[in-house]
Amino acid sequence: MDQALQHLVNGTVLGGTYALLGIGLTLIFGVMRVVNFTHGELYAFGAYMVYALVSLLGINFYLSLLLAALLGAALGAAIELLLLRPLRRADIDSVMLVMIGAALVLQNAEMWGWGGVAKLVPSPFAGTPLVVGPISVMPLRIFVLLVACALLLGFWLLLDRTRAGTAMRATFQDAEAAALMGVRVGWVNTATFAIGSGLAAAAGALLGPVFMVSPTMGDLVGLKAFAIVILGGLGNLPGAAIGGFALGYIEEFGGGYVSTEYRDAFGFLLIILVLAIRPQGLVAPRERVG
Amino acid sequence: MLRLEEVEVAYGRVAALRGISLEVREGELVSLIGANGAGKSTTLKTVSGLLKPAAGRVTWDGQPIAGLSPREILRRGIAHCPEGRRVFPHLSVRENLMMGALLRRDAAGIAQDLDAMYARFPRLQERAGQAAGTLSGGEQQMLAIARALMSRPRLVMFDEPSLGLAPALVQQVFEIVQEVRRQGLMVLMVEQNALAALGLCDRAYLLETGRVVRAGSGPALMASADVREAYLGGRAFAA
Repeated sequence: MDQALQHLVNGTVLGGTYALLGIGLTLIFGVMRVVNFTHGELYAFGAYMVYALVSLLGINFYLSLLLAALLGAALGAAIELLLLRPLRRADIDSVMLVMIGAALVLQNAEMWGWGGVAKLVPSPFAGTPLVVGPISVMPLRIFVLLVACALLLGFWLLLDRTRAGTAMRATFQDAEAAALMGVRVGWVNTATFAIGSGLAAAAGALLGPVFMVSPTMGDLVGLKAFAIVILGGLGNLPGAAIGGFALGYIEEFGGGYVSTEYRDAFGFLLIILVLAIRPQGLVAPRERVG
Repeated sequence: MLRLEEVEVAYGRVAALRGISLEVREGELVSLIGANGAGKSTTLKTVSGLLKPAAGRVTWDGQPIAGLSPREILRRGIAHCPEGRRVFPHLSVRENLMMGALLRRDAAGIAQDLDAMYARFPRLQERAGQAAGTLSGGEQQMLAIARALMSRPRLVMFDEPSLGLAPALVQQVFEIVQEVRRQGLMVLMVEQNALAALGLCDRAYLLETGRVVRAGSGPALMASADVREAYLGGRAFAA
């Protein structure tokens, strides 16, 4: 029982960042119909930015997190403007190939720029765990969960309560009708890609100090992001949040009770099950926000 | 005043408009009639900026507007209520109406217009918080019209507003279109129901394969033999 509680806590921490990743990816797919293969690399980019800002430039940890997310959003905006905008009328295969190419370039640039050795990001949090009854958690992980939840809430408020958010959802549902309302669809696309990328970079920046930072870290995470999005249903925002937490728990409990080595495999097993039994995702399509 | 002069539009290599000239004057209700593929919807899309003409001129109050974005054209006072209603299905009725007022910044005026729309369409007020996709076809059409009016346009373009509606609702939609004109707005309407369209309008244009083949007042077009033959049920109607 105690062990189960511990896994629950760990799964929640992991799930929060997975939710950020999934929402970023599903948002981009929902609005732009682009399968974004660079998502995992944006995650790695966020982690490396925190490393560079904290370890190399000596900038304040919290400020570095914010800057890393913003730089991720800027990189996302650049990818949209330079690669996707010229391809707006291209077929989906061409767009996918270009995005795979972009992911390869980003990954190799990380290898070239930072070297293949994994880096450690120092954090201002104590190295001794916080013990509450049978559960022990690193303070850093609690911080990560709180920030992830704050970002999820902030993103939801932006989408649900603001004019820009309503315009974004309208574009999500019918881009041409939105254009007739005066929405600048091109800019909504850029903003969407920037926000989605910023969320991925934020997830990387948050988990960078928890794990190590390495050039290949984006690979597995990119795959997992797709897993989360498929769990929740493509283009389904609440679904992506639920999928994120579901993946966090499945990995944590699977790793804890069955086998640590197959930890990453449990998530993919779940996806195969979901695709076989409920291919529309865990959340019904009619509940979609978009 | 809206004026199109020798406007040509192509989808890829396929010509959709082959030199259309028409105008909508202050206070007029103008109908476009013609068979499927004649270029009626394409004409509206070209005016609202969704399509760019390959040749010809589109002017609004004498200013060229061809090639401007839909946003700029809406800002100048031309609203387009598209074919198939195209309400945002997962936004609430109220959010849909607010989307119509997206470019406006006068909060008080927007609130006033929202109340006016609710007063005119009580069903929309009853369902203000409901997702637009859950409305009936008729209610969605009312919402689409109200949404277009929320921008406070000087010219509204309706594309097939009666399509797919029950007869009683069709009548209601045409009443609303007339009301809009009586309020002093210019109206450019595309209708497959040629009889109703000609009965309602000040003037009409008959389009065939991307060209205007006949223009005149509603009664004049209704009286013309070829219009009657092709679009009003031929001799049966004449008798």
